Amino acid sequence: MTENPALVADPTVEVTGVSKWFGQKVAVSDVTCSFGPGLTGLLGPNGAGKTTLLRMLTGLILPSQGEVLIKGALPRAEVDRYRNIGFVPEESALYNTLTARQYVAYAATLTGLSDPEDAADRAIETVELTEDANRQIGGFSKGMRQRTKVAAALVHDPEILVLDEPLNGTDPVQRAHLIGLFGRLAAEGNTVIVSSHVLQEVERMTDRVIAIVDGKLAAAGDIAAIRRAMSDIPYRVLIECNKSRHFAAALLDSEAVYSVSVDNSRLRLETSDLLGLGSIVSRLARDLDVRISKFAPEDESLESVFRYLVGGR
Amino acid sequence: MKRFAAIVRVTIRQTLSLKRALGLMLLAGSPAAMYLLYMIGTRGTSARNIETAFETSIGMTVGVFMNIVVPVVTLIIASSVLGDERRDNTMSFLVLRPIRRYMIAAAKTTAAFLEAFLITGVGAAAFGILVGIAVDTFAYFVPLLVGTAIGTAAYAALFVPLGYLLKRATLIGLTYVFIWENGIAAAVPALASLSPWRIGVSAMAGLAPDDFFDLVPSDFALGSLTPGAGGAVIKALILVALSAAFMAAVLRRRDLAT
Repeated sequence: MTENPALVADPTVEVTGVSKWFGQKVAVSDVTCSFGPGLTGLLGPNGAGKTTLLRMLTGLILPSQGEVLIKGALPRAEVDRYRNIGFVPEESALYNTLTARQYVAYAATLTGLSDPEDAADRAIETVELTEDANRQIGGFSKGMRQRTKVAAALVHDPEILVLDEPLNGTDPVQRAHLIGLFGRLAAEGNTVIVSSHVLQEVERMTDRVIAIVDGKLAAAGDIAAIRRAMSDIPYRVLIECNKSRHFAAALLDSEAVYSVSVDNSRLRLETSDLLGLGSIVSRLARDLDVRISKFAPEDESLESVFRYLVGGR
Repeated sequence: MKRFAAIVRVTIRQTLSLKRALGLMLLAGSPAAMYLLYMIGTRGTSARNIETAFETSIGMTVGVFMNIVVPVVTLIIASSVLGDERRDNTMSFLVLRPIRRYMIAAAKTTAAFLEAFLITGVGAAAFGILVGIAVDTFAYFVPLLVGTAIGTAAYAALFVPLGYLLKRATLIGLTYVFIWENGIAAAVPALASLSPWRIGVSAMAGLAPDDFFDLVPSDFALGSLTPGAGGAVIKALILVALSAAFMAAVLRRRDLAT
């Protein structure tokens, strides 16, 4: 294992010192990270540079500085590399006059598959679009359009799948299905890179996250590790108990606790020492005869990590 | 070949809607319609004889059909074959496939030519038939079709990259047609090899009976070109090859940002 959490031991996609600027605007600034088999979430608010980074991974955009390698080669240098890559762009990228089946079969034909129709049928079935496969894409809902794009990206069984906000516009059932599908593909050994600005989505898909904020790599690794690395930011802990005011006053006397807020039976604490707080809470609860019904760190959710990363912006 | 054909097929389907085809057919058919009106209007009058009918037909062929209809129809179609892909954000679908960029560019130019010639060819055929009836000979029918095909191919080679690279391709293309074809290339005969109109006319002139040049000012309509279908075909093919090579280089080097 490598020590840098932004890098993986067996990378299929390597990003080294990559920057991209459009005129005066810097979209991505000196990002170094890598992606390997499994699912990685690329997280960041809208306009953070996720799409630019993903487009550089696929070769649609060339870096202004730095290098992107797909399985050791520049993505644009050899077009045959695209047999190994599937890409779902954020934008529409659909031919509205074609049916979903024709569109996916077109993708299969262009990839050089021997039986494009059969491959298209299988990909369409994978995204559960079989019933609507013979309808023109122009009449599709956003969710159906997304699934059509996913089917076209999957039709040639690529080893590397790059998905830019693939769950946009999908309903909860479709979302759950697609999340399961991406997880399955990752478990089969494919490199799956999924960008999203919706934290819960990423959290449901993966533990490994690359967070981009203002074009810069803000954090990388698993969500809990990112949180632990932020030692200068206090942990937030939720406690539900009886005698809450009494208990809050006692906790405030402890050096490990920075602040406490009380909301009926709920206490919200800020501490720099999560482990130490556990023993203090149990000791004080025993001494004061306080019954604790819940003790939970609020911070190891992606949302809170993300809030810290983009805090103040 | 399967991939090349697939790109051509999908491009034609995507860019040639029934509404657009009908509108362009009306434009391409307008010289034939005007000529029909001329035939009806002069029927049985002293203004109507084979000589004047012939003179009118040649003037309309070179000055209206080849000079306006062919470039405008081809401009509208050719500028959309890659331009629409860029505008509709479908370029990423195309370029992230294991296909050589030259094949994409060549397939797009082929699609533009086929689509445009479907329209200009029908217009040329309708016009050629009416002229044949009016002047009692169909000697100009095939030369007109060949000249139209070659002119269409040469214009397609120019307008496919234009549509991809420029947002106001139609406006700039029209400016090119009127300023370049009728101004600069007319004033500098040595530039005739870069004038699709003159390349098309030279093909027609090479196949048409000798009296063609009795009615067409060759220094204006041909510049430095000599009449001949073979030379015109070669020039058009060179333009197509250069256009595809240029577009392939653009697709290889240019970013595809959203």
